[in-house]
Amino acid sequence: MARRVLITGVGSLLGTELALRLERDPDIEYVAGLDDRRPLARLERTDFIEADIRSPVLSKLVPQAEVDTIVHNKIVRRPAPSMSPRAAHDVNVIGTLQLLAACEKCDSLSTIVIRGSAGIYGAEPSAPQFYTEDMSRRYPLRTRFQRDVAEIENYFETFSRRHPGICCTMLRYEPAIGPTLDTQVTRYLSLPVVPTYLGFDPRLQFVHEVDAIEALVAAIKRPVPGAVNVAGPGTIGLTRLVRAAGKLTLPLASPLFGGATSAARRAGLLDFSDDFKRLLKYGRAVDTTRLVEEIGYTPAYSTPDAVEDYVRTLRGRRLAPPLRGAVARA
Amino acid sequence: MTTAPAVAVLRAFRGALGSGASLPEALAEAARALPREAREAVDATRRRLAGDYSEDEWGFDEEFAEAIRPLFDFLYEAWWRVEAAGVEKVPGHGRALLVANHAGVLPWDATMVSLAILREHPLPRYPRFLVLDWAFELPYVSVAIRKLGGVVASPYNALRLLAEDRLVAVFPEGSKGTGKPFRDRYRLQRFGRGGFVEIALRTGAPIVPVAVVGSEEIYPKIGEAPLLGRLIGAPFFPLTPTFPLLGPLGLVPLPSKWRIEFCDPIDTARYGPEAAADRRLVFELSERVRDTIQRKLLENLVERGSAFL
Repeated sequence: MARRVLITGVGSLLGTELALRLERDPDIEYVAGLDDRRPLARLERTDFIEADIRSPVLSKLVPQAEVDTIVHNKIVRRPAPSMSPRAAHDVNVIGTLQLLAACEKCDSLSTIVIRGSAGIYGAEPSAPQFYTEDMSRRYPLRTRFQRDVAEIENYFETFSRRHPGICCTMLRYEPAIGPTLDTQVTRYLSLPVVPTYLGFDPRLQFVHEVDAIEALVAAIKRPVPGAVNVAGPGTIGLTRLVRAAGKLTLPLASPLFGGATSAARRAGLLDFSDDFKRLLKYGRAVDTTRLVEEIGYTPAYSTPDAVEDYVRTLRGRRLAPPLRGAVARA
Repeated sequence: MTTAPAVAVLRAFRGALGSGASLPEALAEAARALPREAREAVDATRRRLAGDYSEDEWGFDEEFAEAIRPLFDFLYEAWWRVEAAGVEKVPGHGRALLVANHAGVLPWDATMVSLAILREHPLPRYPRFLVLDWAFELPYVSVAIRKLGGVVASPYNALRLLAEDRLVAVFPEGSKGTGKPFRDRYRLQRFGRGGFVEIALRTGAPIVPVAVVGSEEIYPKIGEAPLLGRLIGAPFFPLTPTFPLLGPLGLVPLPSKWRIEFCDPIDTARYGPEAAADRRLVFELSERVRDTIQRKLLENLVERGSAFL
């Protein structure tokens, strides 16, 4: 059966890449992209719908596309410097609500795939070494982003309870890493000196950008109800990561870390979210059994492999212009 | 005699610099003048500084564990003069759950049990051990424990480790064991709620009771400072004759004499994984393990004789 897919947040790098990937897929008959930013590359057969996800006009626009699958990718993980935390919260929560209101009116809809975040688990010293999907409510929600993600997940849970015919797959992504991505992690690793917590060396887990997109495609083709963790198997210690990236660490005692990073933020040098700071102290890893066995997708890159691939381009970047510039111009 | 390698290194370094090599090249040239062991150490250090080392997904770092092995060997041979018995009863491969008594504030007993297996077992392997989660909030301690094979004491971790067919060590007394006063030494505390038995039943892993004699004298706890403990978030704050009176020196464990006895494994596979829900069986097995360890503790105490000589 040929599928008709709508992607929200098509103006982000992963959104554009996903649209490009679906355009090439023979099983996909129609692709629509919704965002208030233009896609980063020219899309051949994607209908671009220019709209703000927070506006009520979504209830008119989305049903018109007559899609059977919606990929919700418009979730702000790290607000850009020009975006206030308040606006990011609005996009995340109000945007999701408006999208769900629009979904109520789509009769053809059978599948929703959400690019959520493993940030919902937080980073806890006393947590099991690998979170499984049923552990999202074990610890208090400590940060703003964590509360946003939890709220989004609640809305989708309620929605799928009320519409048993629609399959909602909540993909919980570990931070993505890769040659073309510009994320909090890659910015952190491109600092000249990398601040760390003195005496802490957390285990971290990433997903390679290729796997990030392929996991979405796999979930579109074989959706399963409920949450599914997405990450490259294995973990990497922060020290090993920083050393592999060829950087020097600046270990700061915990009480100093907050002060030092907020001073650096005021100077415009860096901007760590609260989630990221907790991640740098305690780390996190998830269990990916459900992704492999139920969605049927085995990531091509383990976490150490993804890091290695990223580091290789990082070394190249000193000679050549950054790869993401090329993608943006294409 | 000991200065000869240093002189050779300096000479090679100066020679290389003189012939126009860059600083890293000159250092590499100089390193070649070192004797083999030293050169290997330098190589390993350089490799590690480049991030080229491996940790498994749990964060266990075998190279690190090997590197600090001499310290533990010293403690094992000279400081605590450990005598281990029945090591061959530990399965050489496949999953198994080691259950031991716990004492001594810091998890020295876990390291000595590991070392006994590494040194005396015909098929040595590193056991993983479950550590009270509070330790993972501490700087340095958390890293060292993780690199040596420790994980947060959570049933999920134990189940996953056993499913990977590993050797897992647990201390069901938990902080009740490490925090007990000196006068209660070698009196086993309550074994939690028997969670370790449930885990063994669910995975079909044999339970190997382990009695450790000696660990309960290394930090004779004579009092407690609950206020200080609460201040740093610790489950308890021990006072010993030397701690915190002597500061960090008070953390040096006393040189008691140790005996570690591994007992006959208890087969759990025959009950099947459903038996984990059977409360009565769980308590029965838990009591059996506790009795075995208590009995072996008393036997070994008598055999050891004096605590320190």
